[in-house]
Amino acid sequence: MNRREAIKRVGLLFGGVLYAPAVAGLLSGCRTGGEAAFTPRTLTPEQNELVVHLTEMIIPETDTPGAKAARVNEFVDLILTDWAPAEDRDRFLAGLADVEARSQAAYQVAFLEATPEQQVALLTQLEDEALAAPPSPDGQPFFLMLKQLTLLGYYTSEIGATQELQWLAAPGRYDGCAPLEEVGRTWA
Amino acid sequence: MYEHIFIQERQAYDAIVVGSGITGGWAAKELTEQGLKVLLLERGRHVEHGRDYTGEHKAPWELPFRGRGDRRLYEAEYDVQRRCYAFGEATRHFFVNDRENPYEHDPDKPFSWIRGYHLGGRSLMWGRQCYRWSDLDFEANLREGIAVDWPIRYADLEPWYDYVERFAGISGQPEGLPHLPDGPFLPPMMMNCAEQHLKAGIERAFPERKMTIGRVAVLTVPHNGRAACHYCGPCERGCTPGAYFSSLSATLPAARATGNLTIRPHSVVHSVIYDEEKGRASGVRVVDYETKEMHEFYARIIFLCASTLGTTQILLNSTSSRFPNGLGNDSGELGHNLMDHHFVVGATATIPGFEDRYYFGNRPNGIYIPRFRNLGDRATRHRDFLRGYGYQGGASRAGWNRGMAMRGFGADFKHRLREPGPWTMWLGGWGETLPRHDNYVELDPEQTDAWGIPLLKVHCTWGENELAMRKDMAEQAAEMLEAAGCTNVQPFDAYTEGGLGAEPGLCIHEMGTARMGRDPKTSVLNAYNQVHAVPNVFVTDGACMTSSACQNPSLTYMALTARAAHHAVEEMKRGNL
Ligand SMILES: Cc1cc2nc3c(=O)[nH]c(=O)nc-3n(C[C@H](O)[C@H](O)[C@H](O)COP(=O)(O)OP(=O)(O)OC[C@H]3O[C@@H](n4cnc5c(N)ncnc54)[C@H](O)[C@@H]3O)c2cc1C
Ligand code: SF4
Repeated sequence: MNRREAIKRVGLLFGGVLYAPAVAGLLSGCRTGGEAAFTPRTLTPEQNELVVHLTEMIIPETDTPGAKAARVNEFVDLILTDWAPAEDRDRFLAGLADVEARSQAAYQVAFLEATPEQQVALLTQLEDEALAAPPSPDGQPFFLMLKQLTLLGYYTSEIGATQELQWLAAPGRYDGCAPLEEVGRTWA
Repeated sequence: MYEHIFIQERQAYDAIVVGSGITGGWAAKELTEQGLKVLLLERGRHVEHGRDYTGEHKAPWELPFRGRGDRRLYEAEYDVQRRCYAFGEATRHFFVNDRENPYEHDPDKPFSWIRGYHLGGRSLMWGRQCYRWSDLDFEANLREGIAVDWPIRYADLEPWYDYVERFAGISGQPEGLPHLPDGPFLPPMMMNCAEQHLKAGIERAFPERKMTIGRVAVLTVPHNGRAACHYCGPCERGCTPGAYFSSLSATLPAARATGNLTIRPHSVVHSVIYDEEKGRASGVRVVDYETKEMHEFYARIIFLCASTLGTTQILLNSTSSRFPNGLGNDSGELGHNLMDHHFVVGATATIPGFEDRYYFGNRPNGIYIPRFRNLGDRATRHRDFLRGYGYQGGASRAGWNRGMAMRGFGADFKHRLREPGPWTMWLGGWGETLPRHDNYVELDPEQTDAWGIPLLKVHCTWGENELAMRKDMAEQAAEMLEAAGCTNVQPFDAYTEGGLGAEPGLCIHEMGTARMGRDPKTSVLNAYNQVHAVPNVFVTDGACMTSSACQNPSLTYMALTARAAHHAVEEMKRGNL
């Protein structure tokens, strides 16, 4: 449902009179239509595009939507802007630049223009290095930050929690020994 | 500071109750039900049951920081409260703003004072675990020559445990243990498969130990007009069906129904007014939270239920020529003998198997392993420490979070997280602390808060007995998990000297600063929670505790409050108050 449709529907529901709080709720609740513009506050448009791509590589679309559809990039931008200490934010941004630099050095093209195999190879290398690095007082390596933010952003999104995993506001009963088959997926 | 003092009509109320948390709610209910006109003074805002549970059932994606919280805000305004597990994006409005509500402690002796200043107090966020005490606890001080003797025994409290449990609704499994008496329980919650397996393993390896389902103030069946739990999980956000016990779901509605209750929110009680001629308290001074104006209210009896440290602060601040060091402080013990439970020590492990089993619903409860040390016989005696501890814990399957520590990314990686991970178990000890005179609170002689009340200064550390007990708490947890066939057994202990993680206060079972006793020379309160020298003032919150036992204390506060309230009314009828 896009913005205009949403307003129209509310208009109908409330007899043609716009009911402001309900409209606000509807608009914020249906942004997955893809139309609502997102302007990153910390990431540049190019960095944002790279983050969209990297997060989708970590949690891609399969039989359920992936990180891109769940707008994990928006969550990453929120964390970088309103949450992360400056050192972490800077390390993250430097990490993005490093991805570009490595791609240029290894494949002579921007990361987004490298082949899927090249991209996976580069990311695998980043993960291997991150896991091999001794714990540092400077904080986590870029790749681990990226991965953690992606998982957090995805599995706590409506898509991640309800389509990929499952979430119930009020289950109604407790069964501590139910067959996994019947319960289905991991609880979000 | 206080330019106007508004004197309210004398004797408009029979009783004043200060604080609307777990104990204030009970005092209000019992006193109004017996016909007294009660004024309930609450320093915080009004909270409407249901309507104001703004975090209830919020989905993770509805929380801006997805549960991680607004770090910058928390650091600036909630630096203490954020240490509490229940504090977060969906519950922040139930915790005090630390910047606006300062207190002090020695720099190298941290004390975390976790508070909720609003109608209902911490009954809204509490963990609801409820365990009775027994004479093992009430006799401990006397037996060991520690501090002073309790002026009561289990027999004094037993009918009141029955009484409050019947009203509140406690679910649990009767076990017939003399040192953890059973009550009129509602049906117990179910242990999950991994816990059942563990229980069998532990009880086989240690026949004298027991694992039982947590005893919890959550309704497993409809009870007294309140609905049964629907297993949503995070109770600290509030519960519109009223399935867990709180002042708002249970005691205050009952008190209101009598027509005898007046609630005055935004009323910060400053001190108790002492009438030198009569030798009684005549009322309380209240600073209006918003206007900062001072009001006086009068009544025949006063119940202080402002929480252990809140009540102690009021008493210390109630000075007169008769009581220059705080109301009822003839003994010099007011403010002293501060206790909490010590915890965040135990073990975690993996429970192999049961991969084809999972759970449905979020059980707001865990398991309990009752105390098995120093039960009074030779077999359970431990050489290194007095008293004992119980374990709480639970088994669950790892969720998507484990992906953070898993190598890989992409479609396969995503797919693996769709199924839950291995069963893991944690067992954490809750240990008794000894009453020590040198763990105490006092008023800052210079600094006051925004309402003109001197800041509380806390001095509290764990002693040798607690630290020796912690070693055993970690070791025994690990041993039991090993014996029950767990793998990857990892003992843990969050305590560091002077550090955060298991510091005093964090367990939120602070108690003991106006203890009950037999002798006015060594205690503040008598056997019915009356201030020895000012018998129309009752203190029934955790300040009254003479020792701490290891059981979560609020059920005992409830029983003591109900008992004291009935005693107060009898004494009024006899003309003694
Ligand atoms: C997250 C959490 C988990 C917990 N889990 C458990 C558990 O599982 N089992 C258990 O037994 N206990 C548990 N507790 C502890 C339990 O909440 C307290 O023991 C209990 O609430 C104490 O009751 P109270 O009436 O003394 O104080 P509170 O419930 O804190 O109420 C005190 C009230 O007094 C008001 N007040 C304070 N000062 C003044 C003043 N000067 N003037 C007017 N009003 C004032 C406050 O605003 C508040 O409303 C937990 C607590 C928390 C926060
Ligand atoms: S788990 Fe049960 S008691 Fe807790 S909030 Fe949900 S319904 Fe209420």
